[in-house]
Amino acid sequence: MTKKITALNTLAIGVAAGLTMSYGSTVSAGDIEWSGFVENATYFRDQKGLSKFRNTAQAEFTKPIESDGWSNVSINGVLRGSYDGVYDLNSSEFGKDAQQQYLGESWHANNTASSSAVLNPGVAFPCDNNPALCKNLDGYMDQDENDAKFAEFNDRLDFIREFYITADKQLANGDVFNFSFGKQQVVWGKTDLFRVLDVINPVDYSRHNIYDELEDIRIPQWMFTAEWRMGPTEVLDDSNFQLIWNVDKFRPHNLGTCGQSYVMVDAGCFFASSIQGGGPYVINDVEEYDWDLKNTQFGAKWEGVYGDTTFSLNALHFRQQLPSIHALGPPGDNFGLFDIHFPRVTLLGGSIDYYSMNMDAVWRLEVAYTEGEEQPRDTNGFKETDMLRYVIGFDKNLVIPSLGTRSAFLISTQLFGEHILDHEVDMPMDEDNWIATALFKGWYKNNRLSPQVILAHDFAAKATAIAPSISWTPDNHWMFNAGLNVKFGGDETFPWSATGGTAGGGQTEPLARFLNGPIGVANQEDELQFTVRYSF
Amino acid sequence: MLKKTLTTLAVSMALTTSVQAAQVSEDVIKQSFFPYANGAPQMKGVSTGMVIDQTNVDSVKDALDPAMYRFIKNGDYTIKVAETTDFALHQSYIDATRKYAGDTSLGAEAGAIHGSTAGRPFPQEPAMDDPRAGEKLAFNYKYGYNWGDSASIYPFYWKYRDMNSGKVERTVKMNFHFLNLTHRTQQEPFPAITPNPSNLFRGIYVQVLEPFDVKNTQLLIQRFEDDLKRDNAYLYLGFQRRVRRLSTGQVTDAFLGSDVMIEDFEGYNGRISDMNWSYKGTKTMLLPMYNHNDMELDTETHKDDEGYQVVKFGGAGGCFPDITWQLRKVYVVESNPVDPNHPISKREHYMDAQTFTIPRNITYDRKGDMWKSWLIGQTHPDHHLPINKGTGVSVDDAFSMVDIQANHCTTGQFKGIVDPKLTPPSKMTVQNLRASGR
Repeated sequence: MTKKITALNTLAIGVAAGLTMSYGSTVSAGDIEWSGFVENATYFRDQKGLSKFRNTAQAEFTKPIESDGWSNVSINGVLRGSYDGVYDLNSSEFGKDAQQQYLGESWHANNTASSSAVLNPGVAFPCDNNPALCKNLDGYMDQDENDAKFAEFNDRLDFIREFYITADKQLANGDVFNFSFGKQQVVWGKTDLFRVLDVINPVDYSRHNIYDELEDIRIPQWMFTAEWRMGPTEVLDDSNFQLIWNVDKFRPHNLGTCGQSYVMVDAGCFFASSIQGGGPYVINDVEEYDWDLKNTQFGAKWEGVYGDTTFSLNALHFRQQLPSIHALGPPGDNFGLFDIHFPRVTLLGGSIDYYSMNMDAVWRLEVAYTEGEEQPRDTNGFKETDMLRYVIGFDKNLVIPSLGTRSAFLISTQLFGEHILDHEVDMPMDEDNWIATALFKGWYKNNRLSPQVILAHDFAAKATAIAPSISWTPDNHWMFNAGLNVKFGGDETFPWSATGGTAGGGQTEPLARFLNGPIGVANQEDELQFTVRYSF
Repeated sequence: MLKKTLTTLAVSMALTTSVQAAQVSEDVIKQSFFPYANGAPQMKGVSTGMVIDQTNVDSVKDALDPAMYRFIKNGDYTIKVAETTDFALHQSYIDATRKYAGDTSLGAEAGAIHGSTAGRPFPQEPAMDDPRAGEKLAFNYKYGYNWGDSASIYPFYWKYRDMNSGKVERTVKMNFHFLNLTHRTQQEPFPAITPNPSNLFRGIYVQVLEPFDVKNTQLLIQRFEDDLKRDNAYLYLGFQRRVRRLSTGQVTDAFLGSDVMIEDFEGYNGRISDMNWSYKGTKTMLLPMYNHNDMELDTETHKDDEGYQVVKFGGAGGCFPDITWQLRKVYVVESNPVDPNHPISKREHYMDAQTFTIPRNITYDRKGDMWKSWLIGQTHPDHHLPINKGTGVSVDDAFSMVDIQANHCTTGQFKGIVDPKLTPPSKMTVQNLRASGR
């Protein structure tokens, strides 16, 4: 597999470089513009000590190229390398030597709910500690400790975060045709923290759960994009049609390998578990999707502006980026309980922004209907079901003189909803669930001092995250940030039923982690966080 | 210079009177566009070549606005006086005034205007007994030839300075683009670009180039022809890679943390109907208008292959442009926000009568105390970049916004280029924000 991935990357880089050289041989080139930063992020976790000591260097470049036939031609790249020293400095808590007493230790007490536990605690970094389990997980959650320490240096060449060429063609009628190819992020939608339409790139949640900017945790993909920018028409103030072809080998979300400091919904440890008493591993195999034309992903978006309304209509045929676990039936020797699949799904959706003059505020609505997703069940494996996700957002800028600044505060709230259309009672997820978020951000001292508070509440998990922080930017180069990330709730525990469960439904271990969600399952990850960055 | 003005006036009169019947008298046109045709303004005590500093400022107090008087009196700044020069606007704009001004009138509601297709809407001298004289002058500014039909500031350096220590806290490098979609007179097509389904009047597009933490921030403001309709504003944040609609509450916010509100751009950047306007009189005053190429320039901030250099700053904290000032005919106009929650109580605008630019503003806070002093230096286009010669645009060339209460300032150094190729209509679309971001 490694050879195939490397070959694909080599081919893609070769195509991009070939395009670059073909331009380079016929046109004059401008200067390369470089920028970037070095950064240290040091986080401390309650009861655990150091949870992150990540040192990052990132460089970004743009090389404009002049061409007779094309305009705005440029080659763009983002290179990133990091080393997270937490695995060397706090190896008893994180890394290949970390151990848990029971599955779920990271988010609930070992109480009666787990007295009849049938699963062993997850193995930290299975590929360092358990070759057989590593083999079962081949292709997913199979990072070793070095992969976590040096997150970008792997077979997928993640140190090349972005590398693409883009060019415009002016059409005779004044429209513009844009083409781009390379490793890139393509962003749809307008939401923060959680995603509804912004689903083209998978996400690396192992970096810092849901809390880092999506810009930093989207996993760039090798993609072709083509845009037909029609501009104003007789009816619309702006109109644009975009086609996307993701030709990269499929990559799911990275939820974090057991042993990392951020393991989204504890899935990595669940997947690295096994039946007690020498029973089989939880995961038997991970379905791989070799590079093949029919395995590529594609989509289209039409967006425009009509008066006070901006809108988009989106369609995407892609693979579910969260794992779907397929029960294999009665366990046997050398046999696991589940295979992991990533089913093919089709998303249809849209978004609308509306500026309300009376409220002097912006309303955002985003909806996505996905066909073909799979949800796990406690008693009957999984079920294919359509899903409806939506978000309503409200943004307002407000000057609050009593807070001692003449700068407006940004107040941004969002309510995310998720509806499982073919819900079953033994699904760990509720038929309907909502997550509310709020951002309150202010500025002092010419925007160089900026406090903010982020709130997120998961209604089903009864869990809340509060993240106050303050950043200080003394000049053009330095930035210091200090913050807290505290979670409450997610305390409910559940009976075990890995091989059966209560007839008629009810949430059970171990799948209840999906109900408790990214906030509830991280309820013991209260952190004090410091970041210092020097940019150039 | 004055001889040239008279010649231009005579030629334009001959050309235009033969084409159509003038709806506005030539006396009105002459008075409005060539106020110095009969000679430069004079003021007792003010002479070309003099330097005004704290030792002699009291003798020329009437030639200065209250904030500038205070700065000089404090020793924060000295002014060098140069001769008054003619900033004749482009002939096409004057011709459009002849053609359309006669049909222009205010509507019943403040901010409503009818018949203004292009040119100066109200070239007549303002009258103290006209209760809407201030509003008419505001419309003359809104539909003025400020930046012509389109232009770019390419690039634009903003420096945030501690006025006490002189320390430059931040330097933000940007590109600004301005495009009139209607009221066009010189760059084809005119008078309007079509299609324009929402009947937009103007677009302002800003792209931040440096520093890294705000790089790729982009702002698009679309102003409607209907002044009663609020602007559409869009913000693209580089680190989010998304276009977000802005509530216009943000137009009175510190733009990128500077001392400048979006509403302060160019002297006033908002709806006429957002303010109550009142005309306070016509005066002869010193304004920061000059020939860029004759100034001592900043050799450090900007370097390019053309050898262009931006205006040098000095004075207290480096908050004041090192330029010459000249006596000008000035309309003093006051604007008070309609919104009682607006962060200011009023602005005093000192409008240059010939160009209808606003080189000087004084902003008062909600308590009525002097808060900010806005200065935007205007260079004659024939003494700037070669491409600007003959454009008839009074080129914005250097600004200073001093927060008097905080002893802090933001300064701006321009490379203003009047070239339609840099600002195609596609620049003013929402999609351009996404396309120009990463």
